[in-house]
Amino acid sequence: MIEHHPGAKPPERVVILGAKGFVAGASAARLACAGVPVLALGRADLDLVAPGADKALASQLRPADALLFVSAKAPCKTPDLLMENLAMAHAVAAALAVSPVAHLVYISSDAVYGEGETLVRETSPTMPTSLHGLMHVAREGLLRFGTKLPLAILRPSLLYGAADPHNGYGPNQFRRLAAEGKPITLFGEGEEQRDHVLIDDVAEIVYRVLVQRSTGVLNIATGRSLSFRAVAELARGVSEIVGTPRRNPISHRHFDITACLQAFPDFTYRAIEAGLPDRSGG
Amino acid sequence: MTKPRIGFAGLSHLGICSGVAAAARGFDVLGFHPDPALIEHLDRGDLPIVEPDLDRLFVEHRSRLSFAADPAALRVCDIVYLSYDVPTDDKGESDLAPVRALIAEIGPHLAPHALLVILCQVPPGFTRSLPFDADRLYYQVETLIFGRAVERALKPERIIVGAPRSGEPLPAALQQFLAAFECPILPMRYESAELCKISINLCLVASVSVANTLADLSDRLGADWAEIAPALRLDQRIGRFAYLKPGLGISGGNLERDLVSVCRMADRLGGEAGVVRGFIADSAYRKNWLLRAVHEALPQRIAARLGVLGLAYKEDTASTKNSPSLALIGALGEIAVAAYDPVVRLTDRPSAGFVQVVDLDEACRDADAVILATPWAEFRGLDPARLKALMRGRTIIDPYAMLDGGAFEAAGFFYRTLGRPSAVRTEHP
Repeated sequence: MIEHHPGAKPPERVVILGAKGFVAGASAARLACAGVPVLALGRADLDLVAPGADKALASQLRPADALLFVSAKAPCKTPDLLMENLAMAHAVAAALAVSPVAHLVYISSDAVYGEGETLVRETSPTMPTSLHGLMHVAREGLLRFGTKLPLAILRPSLLYGAADPHNGYGPNQFRRLAAEGKPITLFGEGEEQRDHVLIDDVAEIVYRVLVQRSTGVLNIATGRSLSFRAVAELARGVSEIVGTPRRNPISHRHFDITACLQAFPDFTYRAIEAGLPDRSGG
Repeated sequence: MTKPRIGFAGLSHLGICSGVAAAARGFDVLGFHPDPALIEHLDRGDLPIVEPDLDRLFVEHRSRLSFAADPAALRVCDIVYLSYDVPTDDKGESDLAPVRALIAEIGPHLAPHALLVILCQVPPGFTRSLPFDADRLYYQVETLIFGRAVERALKPERIIVGAPRSGEPLPAALQQFLAAFECPILPMRYESAELCKISINLCLVASVSVANTLADLSDRLGADWAEIAPALRLDQRIGRFAYLKPGLGISGGNLERDLVSVCRMADRLGGEAGVVRGFIADSAYRKNWLLRAVHEALPQRIAARLGVLGLAYKEDTASTKNSPSLALIGALGEIAVAAYDPVVRLTDRPSAGFVQVVDLDEACRDADAVILATPWAEFRGLDPARLKALMRGRTIIDPYAMLDGGAFEAAGFFYRTLGRPSAVRTEHP
């Protein structure tokens, strides 16, 4: 599902949109570690919903750049936010029409897949069941059809890591609660199984995709899903784990990561048992 | 009544095996192929394909076999089978151009009374579309199985013949020839026979797809598919010969072709083929089981050395069409792979880290993992002591359960197969 550009070299420079974010920060650090020049543009540098954002971005881009588009107003839970997010992508596409770059990488989400998809692969239909997923599907399409550039779309599953600014239900929240000695409260008995990816692994995949100028679609997931209760058990320390009456039906999500194994034969995701203890305490 | 003389036009796998089987049944056979070099090889007894029993039967019945690169030689035949294997691309799409070209080439040279029988893999509607006298044109279902092609050609379970019209007797010469195979003969109209072949293959695919799905769940649940399958075979609705052995998806080209053909027909005619698309997707997933198994067994695989036993898509054939072994090797990049196959000799390297060796022990030497990717009989002889002495690591990936998994586990190996769980490994990368 993803193809590498034969003979590709590391990009001369990577421009990152969304510099302050979880994925953008980790990706910038990974690129810097490899000596790849980075221009990280946060909202303070460039507000993609502001009038003239396209021209402002175009003025920053060079033909040999790679553009890593991470920026989003997330989670996208209202129609207004949806339209703002689309306006951001529209500005990026308009900028690229004027100042094309050598490679475009878009960080999407596994929210593009329907909830009924329980074994997800890159060829699974995109049938979002949330505005957030719809936003990513629309942005993917806007970039795919609105630019003619070599494009990689990366769709991460649930992320965790110490620097996660969110405190959503999952490893980060569990670990923080455990660190404070507070009980970990589960939805139902935490039966839902999900695939949790360490942020360092996301950054590594992003780096590899940029270096090999890869194009196509790739999910970022470990291929191993655990129940929230199992994750809570890993994170708990001495904290109590508390179940609650279930309000929603149980749903699971697993990933078939064959495409990633084929794309990066020497890459291995860290298991959550190894990634969680020292990394997501926050 | 004298025996009809049989021609086979198109000497690929199908033509050679069918021709030798006809000779073995006592008929004089003329094989035609437009490539003089191939004819020269066949005249010398140098067969370009590998099939059990083929060499012996060829020698035994050599006196009834002749070959020609000139289509005019077919004029002596009473029945001419068009027996060229229709090539497919990597999406399972057929290329019928060589078949049409062959028909155009031989047509003018056939005797006025001669019957033309289409034996190759053609889609429904093909036979009736041919510009040939329908009263002399027949279609016969081929049921070639790579690795059992001679046995199947010599002793078919039944013979299915497509005729221009239903309910009419077959021509005497064809009846006489087919009767020699001592099995039921089922005449039907062209379209029924063409679809019948596809129907057989799809039932096989359905069966093996179900087996693969449930074997996978057996592995995840802690059940053992090898214990379950015999119970299914005793159910008359399923049957003792049902395709219930788990495998690595559909390979070889013929079944894939029929899956694609059904989807195409349904698309054109407005039928629902979702289940068939499901078989195709399932097969693609199973094909990469080896890659996933290697990934799980050897997380730090970049430094690993893998011994791969088998390159053919199945045992007793040199065909590598859609081979799971090559799917694995092709996805390993620079990871060191030493591969051995009893008959396949690759001319191109499928990956940067690939070397082909000519000795089984050499493939296993210093390997961190040995992968039995094709169920060749000679691999059954491997035992834990031999592999312990040869290997650096202790991982065996044996999808087809060629080895005694329990013995390997008792000897300290990590043993992975289809349909049952492996001993738990607790290490994480």
